[in-house]
Amino acid sequence: LNHDERFSAEALPLLGALYSTALRLTGKPQDAEDLVQETFLRAYRSFGQFAPGTNLRAWMHTILRNVCTDTRRKAARTLQGGELPEDGPPVAPAQEAFGAERDLERALAGLPEVFREAVILRDVEELSYEEISGVLGVPIGTVTSRIYRGRALLRSALAGPAR
Amino acid sequence: MTCQPESVTAWVDGGLTAEERERVAQHVEACAECRAQAESETALRTRLRALPQLAARAGFERELAGRLRSRRIPRLARVLLPLAAGLAVAGFWLRGSPEAVARELAFDHAKCFRKQQLPAKVVGNDAAVISGWFEAQGTSLPGIPAPAAGLQLQGARYCPLLDGTFVAHVYYRDGPRTASLFLIPRALRMGTVLNTTALGRQVRLIADGDRTLAVVAENAADVEALSAALGRRLALLFVP
Repeated sequence: LNHDERFSAEALPLLGALYSTALRLTGKPQDAEDLVQETFLRAYRSFGQFAPGTNLRAWMHTILRNVCTDTRRKAARTLQGGELPEDGPPVAPAQEAFGAERDLERALAGLPEVFREAVILRDVEELSYEEISGVLGVPIGTVTSRIYRGRALLRSALAGPAR
Repeated sequence: MTCQPESVTAWVDGGLTAEERERVAQHVEACAECRAQAESETALRTRLRALPQLAARAGFERELAGRLRSRRIPRLARVLLPLAAGLAVAGFWLRGSPEAVARELAFDHAKCFRKQQLPAKVVGNDAAVISGWFEAQGTSLPGIPAPAAGLQLQGARYCPLLDGTFVAHVYYRDGPRTASLFLIPRALRMGTVLNTTALGRQVRLIADGDRTLAVVAENAADVEALSAALGRRLALLFVP
């Protein structure tokens, strides 16, 4: 298989998962689309550098994370020191979820971003601690701590009376 | 061991070294609070894992795949366009190169005479008939020598060059000896006359205004004889 065929066969099937994560991180479908599009374009350009045998999902998430960081940096610059982009998503992204699922999506959306991304990468995307450490560029101890804090906040949000 | 909630999280996720795992397992067994944390985290993880993917707008995937494809074309074009431009320049340069044209004519000469039957469109040894045939097709030959040094006129046709130009090709033969007279409808980068050898054949190119005449034969004597006859014709034509 050549570069294009391999990319189509291996990377494109991850589009759904990446979009889903992007939407949970940004809360806005348009932003999620932009992030995912740029992620795939970058991934396509540097697919030759992907080491076969390692986790492509983790590699793609690393790119998504970098795109996200770059986009925010750019946005912050254009705001010229005005208001900074808000931390959490303004609305819960679970448009079609209902019941317990909707509550969970809402609780997730309410988490501060550092915890939200750690929990999503671990519990939704099922990356290992090592992979998450690579994606976020932080030590494994920090990954553990963020997952612990994220889950604790989620549990209390789900148990609490606030709806 | 005292309660280490973060270690319990790592333990739930199958992290830690074997030794640490064993220690945390023992602690969780004994500590109701940590056991509750482990159970609750496991249950939460199961729920999160079961969350359905948030679907993208219909058409997003198709559009993205389309954008990726459109990226592929420029990638290819980055290589192919300069290559095509290079070939075009080379092609244009070769069109005017007498050596390249001589090679093509020598090749065409060999190709036509290799055939069992000459692929002539107009057959015969009457120079006037052949001239008339070309005239009717819009090509005015300066003159067709026949015969020359025993070489008999056989017939003629148009032959294509690589760049798509058609050249008038007149056939001469005397037993095993063969010769060709060509008219190329353009000038080449050369003086009045240029003698060269191409593919084992002798080639003489003669400038004729914005056209070029060529004589191709196996040996120089035949080229000389045919172009001398042609020269007389040319001289007759050009001298008022």
